[in-house]
Amino acid sequence: MSNRKLPRMLQSPAVILLLIWMLVPLSMTLYFSFIRYVLNNLRRPEWTTPSISNWRGLGNYEFVLKSKDFLFAIQNSLLIVCSILFLTVVLGVLIAVLINKSFPGQGIVRVLLISPFFVMPAVNAVLWINMILDPVLGLQGIAVAGINETVAGLRNTPLIGGFFSLWPEFNPISFRATQTSAYAVIMMVTWQWTPFAVLIFMTSLQSEDQQQKEAAILDGASAWSQFRFLTLPHLGRPIAIVVMIQAIFHLSLYAEIEIVSRGNGNKNLPYLIGEFANNNIGAASATGIFAVILANIVAIFLLRMVGKTLME
Amino acid sequence: MGRIVLENVTKSFGSTEVIPPLNLTIEDGEFAVFVGPSGCGKSTLLRVIAGLEDATSGKVLIDDEDVTEISPSKRGLAMVFQTYALYPHMSVRKNIAFPMRMAGMSEEEQEKRITAAANSLNLTDYLDRKPGQLSGGQRQRVAIGRAIVRDPSAFLFDEPLSNLDAALRVGMRLEITEMHERMKTTMIYVTHDQVEAMTMANKIVVLQAGVIEQVGSPLELYHRPRNKFVAGFIGSPKMNLIEGALAEEHAAHTIGIRPEHLSVSDKEGLWQGTVGVAEHLGSDTFIHIHGIEGCDPMTMRAAGDVSFKHGDRVYLTPDATQIHKFDAQGLRIE
Repeated sequence: MSNRKLPRMLQSPAVILLLIWMLVPLSMTLYFSFIRYVLNNLRRPEWTTPSISNWRGLGNYEFVLKSKDFLFAIQNSLLIVCSILFLTVVLGVLIAVLINKSFPGQGIVRVLLISPFFVMPAVNAVLWINMILDPVLGLQGIAVAGINETVAGLRNTPLIGGFFSLWPEFNPISFRATQTSAYAVIMMVTWQWTPFAVLIFMTSLQSEDQQQKEAAILDGASAWSQFRFLTLPHLGRPIAIVVMIQAIFHLSLYAEIEIVSRGNGNKNLPYLIGEFANNNIGAASATGIFAVILANIVAIFLLRMVGKTLME
Repeated sequence: MGRIVLENVTKSFGSTEVIPPLNLTIEDGEFAVFVGPSGCGKSTLLRVIAGLEDATSGKVLIDDEDVTEISPSKRGLAMVFQTYALYPHMSVRKNIAFPMRMAGMSEEEQEKRITAAANSLNLTDYLDRKPGQLSGGQRQRVAIGRAIVRDPSAFLFDEPLSNLDAALRVGMRLEITEMHERMKTTMIYVTHDQVEAMTMANKIVVLQAGVIEQVGSPLELYHRPRNKFVAGFIGSPKMNLIEGALAEEHAAHTIGIRPEHLSVSDKEGLWQGTVGVAEHLGSDTFIHIHGIEGCDPMTMRAAGDVSFKHGDRVYLTPDATQIHKFDAQGLRIE
């Protein structure tokens, strides 16, 4: 047994560091979630320092559960994460399969495809909401105005004018409005993270066995069947990886939500935590614990689903 | 039916011509083996027949029908690959069912054929396993099963045994030969191993640099090699090719004598040399003999164990009826 001692001792700094790294923040969050702890309260100044004497039990959790935004934030978190995952995986697979064939300019196309991933999230959000999605000055506003003008012009032409006069006038969508700001976030994050999926799927596609494909061709498999029965199962594991990594990242989206609508009509759990943390650290910590639980449920659920459907 | 005819088939990759115009007929029910050193174009030729590569020019005919422009799956051929090319995430059953599923065959018919194939290939106990859980030999059998159920007009084998260990290779060789005897379907088999070619084929096609050097039955090739290349390639150990004075005695540029057609003596004989390495196989002994002009070392094969030691002086005598003569171009002289 003594010969095990040395390796254990040599491992211990890394293990201890990792434990501290994980356990300290988690236990502090747990601790704060059970006490009254606010940053500023003139009437009860003792609540402004964390202390076990301010014990509140499950009070913070009750407060969070009863707050009007909590359920909405969970729904919205799931909506945003699931939509982004679905879109990035579908687009990622399609684009990766498309550019896996060799064609002139392949190198440049690949670099261009990867580039959105290098844009900072805040910059990404500012660019999208102001330059693309803005209903007046953005690409969207210009495009909608252009279509409306063209349609208006065509109404007076003979023959086809009657058809175009049936068309309504299009209204640009305001993505800062409450209902639609989540879609804006989904769009911009999908744009940014699709390259990540493409990159992972592309490397995986390059390791696909060509003889298997040839065997399938001889077996009479159409291009679609080859994709469905060979390529897609081959991509099962990378898809699971993309889903897992992205689920972790997108459950904590913050910058995009802040920039698009400052949380108006579009909150997720991290944003709710941020709002609570303006003053009520106890409630923010309780929300944080809910977020941890949600993240775990989502991760397990998604991994199971992806694993089952693709690995048969 | 499965009569395969190649008419002036060529294949080029870019400006490199790997197969110059080539004509070949493989009769229905034949076991044809393409054999040659690596890079001789034998696999490419097989892929052209399968349709995985397009012929640059020329025609491929199956049962007198021109299939050059027809897609691989419609040619009615089944192929077994060197790396097995099984679908890794499907069970053995699904692997074997795949071509039938693609052809839209009924479930019952599929099941019937799977059972029959699994029985004949000893795969019944493994039907629900994944390829990753099988040994190399079992995987190869699954690949063969997947080919059988399609009921093809010809089987194409692309070096199917080269990933197996030596003992298994001998076993699978027998199984495939037996399968051919049973099914009487045309088979084309590509290998670089002349032993496989000799033991399995009805018809051997020896290829070098995309050119057919000789076509014939194994024994035809053994007894009457058309040129020096075939002479050296067919037979194990290799034929001794002797140039110079000894060859001129027979009015040839080169003479060839197989190791098994030499007799050795420590007292008298035609050619004198010293023993180098002697390889004892038990049944035979291969003796490498140095110091004979025009061929160094010369290999001879003695039956049983022979007690010559390194450095011994010996005399070799060739069986005069078994000497092959070749001219300066390497072609056989009768």
